[in-house]
Order: sequence, then C-alpha cells, then structure tokens
Amino acid sequence: MSKVSLFIPCLVDMFAPSIGMATVAILERLGVETVYHDEQTCCGQPALNAGYGNYALEAARRFISIFGDDEVIVSPAGSCVYMIKRYYPELLEDDPLYPMAVDLSSRVYELSQYLVDVLDITDVGAQYEGKVAYHESCHILRGLGISRQPKVLLSKVKGTEIVPLFAAEMCCGFGGEFADRYHYISEEMVKDKVNNFQASGADVLITCEPGCYLNLNGFLHRQQENKKVLHLAQLLAGPEFQGL
Amino acid sequence: MKIRTEEFNSIAKKEINNAYARAFLGLLPPIIAMRRVQVMSSFPNPDQALKLSRAIRSESIARLPDLLEEFEQKATKSGAKVLWAKDAQEARKLVLSLIRDRGATFVTKGKSMVTEEIGLNEALEQAQIEPIETDLGEFIAQQLNRPPFHIVGPAINVPVEEIRDLFLREGIMKEDTTDPVQLGYAARIYLRDKFHHIKVGLTGVNMAVAETGTIINVENEGNIRFNKSSPITQISIMTPEKVVPSLRDAMHIIRLLCRSCTGQKISAYVTLDTGPKKAGEIDGPEELYIIIVDNGRSEIYANPRTREVLRCIRCGACLNTCPVYTKIGGYPYGWAYSGPMGQILNPLLLGLDRTQDLYRACTQCGTCRDICPGGIDHPALFLYYRSCDVEGNEKLAGKKRPRSERISFSLWGLAVKNKLLWNTALRLGRFLTKKYSSDGWLTNLGRLFPGWFKERDFPSISDSTFRERWKEMRKGKYGHP
Repeated sequence: MSKVSLFIPCLVDMFAPSIGMATVAILERLGVETVYHDEQTCCGQPALNAGYGNYALEAARRFISIFGDDEVIVSPAGSCVYMIKRYYPELLEDDPLYPMAVDLSSRVYELSQYLVDVLDITDVGAQYEGKVAYHESCHILRGLGISRQPKVLLSKVKGTEIVPLFAAEMCCGFGGEFADRYHYISEEMVKDKVNNFQASGADVLITCEPGCYLNLNGFLHRQQENKKVLHLAQLLAGPEFQGL
Repeated sequence: MKIRTEEFNSIAKKEINNAYARAFLGLLPPIIAMRRVQVMSSFPNPDQALKLSRAIRSESIARLPDLLEEFEQKATKSGAKVLWAKDAQEARKLVLSLIRDRGATFVTKGKSMVTEEIGLNEALEQAQIEPIETDLGEFIAQQLNRPPFHIVGPAINVPVEEIRDLFLREGIMKEDTTDPVQLGYAARIYLRDKFHHIKVGLTGVNMAVAETGTIINVENEGNIRFNKSSPITQISIMTPEKVVPSLRDAMHIIRLLCRSCTGQKISAYVTLDTGPKKAGEIDGPEELYIIIVDNGRSEIYANPRTREVLRCIRCGACLNTCPVYTKIGGYPYGWAYSGPMGQILNPLLLGLDRTQDLYRACTQCGTCRDICPGGIDHPALFLYYRSCDVEGNEKLAGKKRPRSERISFSLWGLAVKNKLLWNTALRLGRFLTKKYSSDGWLTNLGRLFPGWFKERDFPSISDSTFRERWKEMRKGKYGHP
C-alpha cells in the first residue's frame, strides 16, 4: 500500500478544510495511507509575493525540515506545489539545504497529478449528476503543466458531462494581494470568469486551486448566485465534502 | 513624453470604464492571441521553434559586449557610422546636431519606441525641427498628442470617428468618411508628399546583425522603407540589446517576431540595410548613422538577475494575452512601454520607487512568460523587483514598504516557523473576526482588505480547521471518511 504525506496549505486549513478532508477521503478510498505532519504551516508564497523573500526562505527551510524525509508529498493546492517546485531551489540557492530543496521538489505532487500520473488511476469511483466545466488555474496549467489529469478524472465521474468553458485558461483575478490592492481590475477578471461559467451551462465549475476557489466562491456568494465552484477533490469525494 | 507611472491607479480606474477601449481590448485574447497560436502551428514543431528563438536571444545577451563590438566593426566597414550615446540626453544631442548640420527643418520618422523613451520628439520640437511620424498609428497618436496605447499599435484604441474628425480638422482629408481604407489612403497621400523632400529620415531598428553589420526593420506599412530609401541621411536609433549574432539567427527571430506580434508568418516589408548607398546603386541614403543608445542597459546587463529583461524583442505578444493589460490598456503604465514588457523594463529604467504599481499589478498568471519568444520569466522578475523594493535596494531605487506592512510580515515570519504561535494567531484571528462573521462568511473586516470586500465575500476562519478535524478523525470521534 502506498503512503503519502499530506501538505494542507493554510488557505485550505483555515478557510476550506473540506477540501483537505476530501483529499484524505479520496486517497483512503483508493487504499493510500495518509500522514499529516501537525507542525506544518504555510509554504511561504504570501511572503514571496509581497517581496519578503527572507521570510519565505524561513518557511521553505521549515517545510524542508518537516517534509524532507517523506517519500511522496501530496497537496490539493497547485499554487503551493508550484511555489515549492519553482521557488524553493531559487530561495535556497546559497543555503546548505539547496540539494534537499531540489530533491524535495521532485517528490511533491498536486493531487490530480498524483492520482493520474503516479497511481495511474483515472476512475476514483465518484458520482455527480450534472454538467461540469473546468477552470485551468494559472499555476496549475502554466506553472505545473497540469491540465489533462483533472479532466481525465472528471471524465470518469459517473453521471457527469464535461462542457467547454470559454477562455478556461484565463486568470480568475485572484493573485493574493492583487485582489485587494487592484480590486477594480480583479473584479473585472472574476466577472469575466463567472460570466463564462454561466454561459457554459455547467452546474458547477471545477478548479484544483484553493485560491481560485476562494476568489470565485467569494464573488458568487456576494452576488447571491446559486451556482458554485468546487475543488476537484470535493467533487470526487462526494456531497458531504462540498461545503466549506 | 511625460512620465506618469506614478498615476497608475488613477489612470487605470478611468480607462477600465472606457467602453470603447474595453470592447477593443476584449478582442485581443480571442482574436490576436489566437491568431498567433494558429500561425505558430505553421512551424513543423512550434515548441522547438520557440525554444530556438529563446536560445538565440539568450546567446545574444550572454555575448552582448562582443557582439556589439563585432557589429560596430562590420557596420563601419560597410560604410555606416556607428555612434554611441550613454543616455537619453546624449542621444538627443547627437540626433539634433546631425540634423542641424544638414540644415533640415523637418524629419520623417519610422516607428521607434526608443525615440519615445528618450523623448526625441519633444527635443526636436524645441529645436524648431518638425518630427513627422509616418507610421499610421504613431501619426495619429502624435496628432492627438497621446502616449502609445500599445507598443505595436500605438493608436489602435482611437475610434474611427475621432480619426475622421482629426483628419478633417488638420486638412489631411477633405471628404467626410469613416471608411478605414479611405482614412489610410488620405494619410498615405499626405505623408508621401513629405517623403519627397526629406533630407533626414529617422528609424528604429528591430535587429542588428553582428556578423554582417546589417540593420533590419520589420513593418507592414512601407513607411520605414521610405524613411530609409528616400533621405540623403538616414539615422537609425537602437538600444544595445537589439543585436543578434548572425543573419541566420535574425531570420529565425523574424519568424517569431511576426507570428508573436501580428499573427503573420512574415510582415509585408522586411528591409535589411548594410551600410549606405554604394556606388552604382539607385536607392538608399548617402550616409547612414546608427546610434546605439545605452540609457541604462549597461546596468541592466551588469545585474545577473535583471539581464534577461534585455532578451525582449518588442513583439507585444505579452500585452495581447495579459489579463491586466487587456482590461486597462496601455495608458496606465505611464510611459513608452506598456503591458508585461513595460512592467519589467520601466522599473529598471525609471527606478522602483517611481514604478511601484507596475511590478505589483500582476496576478502571477504566467501567460506572458509562456508565450515570450525571448524566454523572459516576467512573473519571477516582478517578485525580484518587489523584494528589492522591500529591502530598499539602492541601485534599483527601492523605496521600502510602509512600517505597518513590514511589521505584519515580520510577525508572519515568526509564526510560520513556530506551530504554537501559528495556531495561537489563528485562534486569535478566529476570535477577533467572529463579530464580522455570519453563516460562515465574512462580508467585511472593518478596515482590513477593503478592496477585496467591495464585491466579494470571504469564508470565515473555520470553526474546525483541517488540523482540528484531522485530530478528531484520528481520535475516532470524527466520522472516518
């Protein structure tokens, strides 16, 4: 039986824990043993984004000390996985931990990538009656090069029809601080995404990225829309995981 | 040209409500950017073609000092005169004295972004020399006294009615028409007349070939060719990074440039000049001056972190796909260069202090990096600029952030490496935000994050976080999923 270490980033831990629970449920359903290091905090992306690389470096060091010995690390947050793969080696360039950072980056997987590319599983036994559209989150599509994996998983969900989403690869406007500081631009971007979602005729919009999930659902909630956005893990795990 | 990079937000807020510009900008990703994708597929292997152009640009910059020397030698040998200007002021002086010495009262100009950068038109006007822009877009922008909206299409946002009114007012056209073909024709006739009498023509340079000393211009209107073939004296202005090693390299860059820029396999005109007119030739200038303007490039080159900025070939593809540019257009960037390519270049040329919003107004979406034929990682550069700004980097004129932000992040830095502190902060946050929470959602947080809450809610910190649920689950109390 495989064993994976879970990296549940801060946004999921605090604001959408059901995404984390859904991740556990899917993996355990597939017979994968999960461990969760209670000491984990944040990957450091907010600090790096804001220009505080020194604090991001602290987060990277800590991450490596916690996860360094794990064979496989899986996370339902593509953006954080991208942070680790793309920026940890760069942050730790002059640090004794550099080889560890490079080595670790090859063992971190985004959830759908782990299921499809590593376990070679496309049907996780999920069921959802309705139409879904898939939003290609920036760091997942362009950062990690993941697009086929979530779609193949969706295609095997019983009762589900995948409908195309116009401009699926266009950013939803989150970008962390960006959404607050340049809200007037971000709002236009999130509106475009929601309009395209509505026009797609899908009942739910699927993403693999908690950042997009919070942005889109935050907008939909304010606009009192009936439709919502689900993380792929929530759809695959089942209805009891589809709240916050 | 007035530098307005510090007015980013006020201009952007205005422009985002400009319905006409927005309608046009909305077409960029689905039409222009898609056309690029289609035309890229005419390569047997588009990915390899992109990789090759990135490799060429990478090599060009890695060997920049040597290539420039080689270019100067070869260009000089072919009869051109190569002049060096250390900054904008020196460049303006050189151009002015060349024009004055030849007794010209006006000059025609082919589209050149570097002349915008060095404020050449203003300097010419002050010296009573009339600069006549001959690129249709530049011509319109010049008449309207507007900055470039897009590095490739400087006036592409101007409604046709406005152009009609302008042309009628300025006597460029007599007939009242909004037919774009007629408008273009009127401008063509008006400008053609100017070419007949020019002494000095000014152009930019798309590429300078080290191996042969050739300068290359890529265009669709033919006006640059006129600027190079009609005058007695041709002055072509470039920045050092335009150089490529060989003609073969240049040919490949042209393939990527045209595809990335306008979705064409090749532009209508590509002109290669190796020296001025030679004995027995009919066309071409009697003298050719090539002015290489450094204006900060040596410093960009000297810093290994910023050097890749010089790989840019000015195709504008990054503008056409940028989710921010395609909402606000080119004016908010406040200077000659806009969109992602301007966001990486302007801060280095003007200082991080004066360009605060340029490297922050980005979601890190990475479309620019993905399509860049130069192989530039714009998002990573923005992170670097932000870090230099935070630390107050002197060379790049970092400003340092407000105290409140620095304190917040230093606290974050403590908590991120201490589980106890992290969890305590989380619980404290949960307690303090309780009063704003209803039904598991926050609709505001008082003075915090006012931008976010303008049109969006945010989930409250969960009553049971994943960490807490995991513990419960492992204790067997929580229903095992």
